[in-house]
Amino acid sequence: MSDYDPLEGLRPAPVKQDFSQPFWDAAAEGRFLLQYCPDSGKYQFYPRPVSVQTGKRNLEWREVSGRGTVYSHTVTYRSPIAAKGIKPYIVALVELEEGVRVMANLVGCAVDAVKIGMAVKLAWVKAGEDNFPAFEPA
Amino acid sequence: MPQRDIAIIGASEVKIELRSGRSTYELAGEAMAGALASAGLEKHEIDGLAVTTCFSDAGNPFFSPILSAYLGLQLDWCQATDLGGAGASGSVARAAMAIRAGLCHTVLVLSADAQSSDNRGDIRGFRGEFQYPVGIMGPPGFFGLLSNRYDHQYGLDPKALAKLAVTQRDHALLNPLACEKLRKPLTEADYLASPMISHPIRMLDCVMVADGASACIVTTTERAKAMGVKRMAHPIGYGERVNHLETENAPDITRVGHEAAGARALQQAGMAIGDIKQFHPYDDFLIAIILQMEALGFCKPGEGCQYVREHDFHFNGDLPLNTGGGQISAGQAGLAGGAHNLTEALRQLFGEAGERQVRDNSNAMVTGIGWIPYGRNWGASTVLVLEAA
Repeated sequence: MSDYDPLEGLRPAPVKQDFSQPFWDAAAEGRFLLQYCPDSGKYQFYPRPVSVQTGKRNLEWREVSGRGTVYSHTVTYRSPIAAKGIKPYIVALVELEEGVRVMANLVGCAVDAVKIGMAVKLAWVKAGEDNFPAFEPA
Repeated sequence: MPQRDIAIIGASEVKIELRSGRSTYELAGEAMAGALASAGLEKHEIDGLAVTTCFSDAGNPFFSPILSAYLGLQLDWCQATDLGGAGASGSVARAAMAIRAGLCHTVLVLSADAQSSDNRGDIRGFRGEFQYPVGIMGPPGFFGLLSNRYDHQYGLDPKALAKLAVTQRDHALLNPLACEKLRKPLTEADYLASPMISHPIRMLDCVMVADGASACIVTTTERAKAMGVKRMAHPIGYGERVNHLETENAPDITRVGHEAAGARALQQAGMAIGDIKQFHPYDDFLIAIILQMEALGFCKPGEGCQYVREHDFHFNGDLPLNTGGGQISAGQAGLAGGAHNLTEALRQLFGEAGERQVRDNSNAMVTGIGWIPYGRNWGASTVLVLEAA
């Protein structure tokens, strides 16, 4: 546990879907990939087996900037993954520049400093041994 | 013109208990026996079953046939509905469809769950991959995200939420089937002082998970009349929306599927929202009631708190709401919780709600909410309009 990231060392490893593997392989290298549907011109997150726009399997993986803004947030006082002694932490719904939303921890931010609309940037944390996306104030 | 060919002729609810130690099947048996008695029906007349799936028997791929065997039911139609809290109202609609299709004539609609005693739920998919590592506090966390966004867009008045909490608690005090742990008076100050779970969601914004069961009997109006049934309720309108705005990457998360489900249900019923005499909204969180009021047209988006301030939702008020206490003050019987709102509406329509009986019980609107998607509003929305015969 740290002030920067109250959940440090506590996050369970992600249970990965087979069609998500490119996301996790890239995450291991510190690159954030989104699925992109060239037929509709839209990104999607989380990974799916098909384009949610067309139902087709014509999907690409594209590396994205990881820049976005806070769409909403909640400060967690009763953690489901660390029962005792953990400091309150922030779960944010971040809207990326590419138009999709990612639910992630906001790290390096005091719980009373988070605001809707604030600019954030990607900050990798660990979930188990895996790189996992989080965000910090930009 | 609304169809009145289908009738609900009996309803029952088991007393809600925290960690009862009872099984799903035991609770279901009591609910069925109660519904048969309420309808004045013999068991052998049931030829259909629609049951909500539950946490306490999750992982059982043969839940509905095993349950029906325990209950001694030979069936011509057997259905499990996995829409969570929307399962009870959804099952009434499915039962009506099966009867109209000629597959069966008398359906037991059943919901039972002992989630607080035995939770075998393992919700898979994106949850283990992208949700659990984030440490969001389950449904309170999601409703926290939702509430902060709502507050940002419209302003969220904690005193309006408190008013709903207190009204529903007043109703639970009048409902002997409500969970005893919750049958204690509540004040606005109690609500406001309630501890934060996931800001701005307080403990008293949330349901308490418990054990319980409810059942009702759905048949044809013709058959009900031939049986000499004295009171019945017709399901005259139903709408369902699963995964509202799913293909929008960045939807307004204060918008809920009830805007679509409600319009369809009212259109079928030939009614406007102002015709609704009592409202039994699914209430896992207090703000869910406000969002549904807005989506269904009781008021405009963003005006829910003002609407709450301006109306009296007691059983003797201008819009009786969750007169059995709702799930928030009667207890949430796991995934059978949505059947509490439905069963209370039926008791009111039958004129059997005792000292909390509403004055005008000519109709009622019941809603359901099921499952929480990733970073969105709830995933299943149902609206059922019932009319007393």
